[in-house]
Amino acid sequence: MSASVSPECTPLKHEYDSCFNAWFEGYLEPAVAASASSKEREAYSTKKAEEFQQKCGKIWESYRLCVQKAVKEKGLDKLLQQAREEHPLTEPPPNPTQPGQSS
Amino acid sequence: MKFFSQSFLYDDPWSIVSLAFFLRYPNPYASHVISCDVISRIQTPSGSLLTTRLILKRGNMPKWFPQGIVSRAESWVVEESEVDPHGKVVHCRTRNLDHVKVMQVEESVSFCQTPEGKTLQHTEARIVSGFGWGLTKRIENHGLTRFKANVQRSREGVSLILSLLRQSRLQPM
Repeated sequence: MSASVSPECTPLKHEYDSCFNAWFEGYLEPAVAASASSKEREAYSTKKAEEFQQKCGKIWESYRLCVQKAVKEKGLDKLLQQAREEHPLTEPPPNPTQPGQSS
Repeated sequence: MKFFSQSFLYDDPWSIVSLAFFLRYPNPYASHVISCDVISRIQTPSGSLLTTRLILKRGNMPKWFPQGIVSRAESWVVEESEVDPHGKVVHCRTRNLDHVKVMQVEESVSFCQTPEGKTLQHTEARIVSGFGWGLTKRIENHGLTRFKANVQRSREGVSLILSLLRQSRLQPM
């Protein structure tokens, strides 16, 4: 696994990556029939999000805060903001479900 | 502006190719990647996963490039992706955050499952320089040549991770 932008976040990143990757492998192969209704798919997705929160929620929160701090300290938050203003990116939809309520 | 577009077919199913794509750093074909962080990741109500990653890449300037303009040959890259596991599609857009006046490279990659259960990768890139001084065209051409070579290396990296994943899945638990 590659390093984090800040050496102090690297151990947290590695722990988060391992947890996320194990979850992600299952996420990519949803146990829902292709013929399932959108309601069934949504129910499955909610379950999957809860599973992430339960298994990796804590480590994600620690890692996220660590990186957020590092990004601010390096002034990268301004660079990101600037880039967003120049080329507005599609913002995530409101009221996202878990995992990770991101900033 | 230079435009580049290419398609590639993997024999493997979408889920494993997509996994390999997200696990592609580090790999020996990407030694220029210094760091890679997830800065935001959310699951939408419909079940898609939206991720923003911040990547620091090391580069080097061509010999003919005027000295002292780009102080460090490193570049911050933002990668935004959307994974739809139900529709079996990954969309990923990448662009550099700094040195944008010298050259902005915007890359879009998608992975879709084909009816035969294979995976189609489609890559598009736009390379724009606003540098001037009679160098704009040369910079864009250089960027395009480098991009083409990198597409090849990047695919070799994904293929290597893919073969590692295949091996680990064959091993009994």
